[in-house]
Amino acid sequence: MIDSLTNSLQHYMDLLTMRQKLVASNIANADTPGYKTQDIDFQTSLESVMDGGIPHQVEVKGLTIKNDGNNVDLDREARLLAENDLRFSIATNLMKGAFATVKEAIKENL
Amino acid sequence: MSLFSSLSVSASGMAAQRTRAALLVENIANAETTRTQDGGPYRRKDAIFQTAPVASDFASELDSQLQTGVMVSAISIDPRPPEKQYAPGHPDADADGYVSMPHMNPAEDMVDLTGANRSYQANVAAISSVKDMIQKTIDLLRA
Repeated sequence: MIDSLTNSLQHYMDLLTMRQKLVASNIANADTPGYKTQDIDFQTSLESVMDGGIPHQVEVKGLTIKNDGNNVDLDREARLLAENDLRFSIATNLMKGAFATVKEAIKENL
Repeated sequence: MSLFSSLSVSASGMAAQRTRAALLVENIANAETTRTQDGGPYRRKDAIFQTAPVASDFASELDSQLQTGVMVSAISIDPRPPEKQYAPGHPDADADGYVSMPHMNPAEDMVDLTGANRSYQANVAAISSVKDMIQKTIDLLRA
């Protein structure tokens, strides 16, 4: 990417994409017996992805387990769905700003 | 890594919930059916869900590990014995005048149907949220 800011933003967006994918999986499996809620440890994952590593996928602890062994909490997933969406929105807007700066520089040279 | 495969995950959830809803509706429709092709009264059906990898030709190994869709792995048939109802005039009545009726609890089916409906909506919400994210990424090109 262009500079370190856009680089970080790219990793951030990659991670949000991955998290959104896990949230979609959790919602799809909300009624699957024995399914356990999956998530990524955001902090450590972001650090590891910045260093070229892979994200840490974890099973979420502390959720109520239903009789069929499933522990998906739809309200938690709905919150994460909205949160990821908004975070992604922040990242794309910052990215837009970075692009606009470069564009401006190109224009002035004409 | 692509957001598009999340759409497949949610779509698999929608398909599974739709199958479940179809079975529940079938149960309600057949609440008083005394004749079936297998003989005997109708038996209540329910869908059993199982996690399933969402295959994509373009997905990387990491991607396919991350995403788990859902599928209907089996359809369970209610093992409970049929209910005996005294109706001597009924053509399916036995020698003592009792008819075997499906063991059906309408409340059970209605509650499950509400659950299927709610899960379906949750999947739709996930799709629209992911669609939003894709749209925002496309908008970057227009900046």
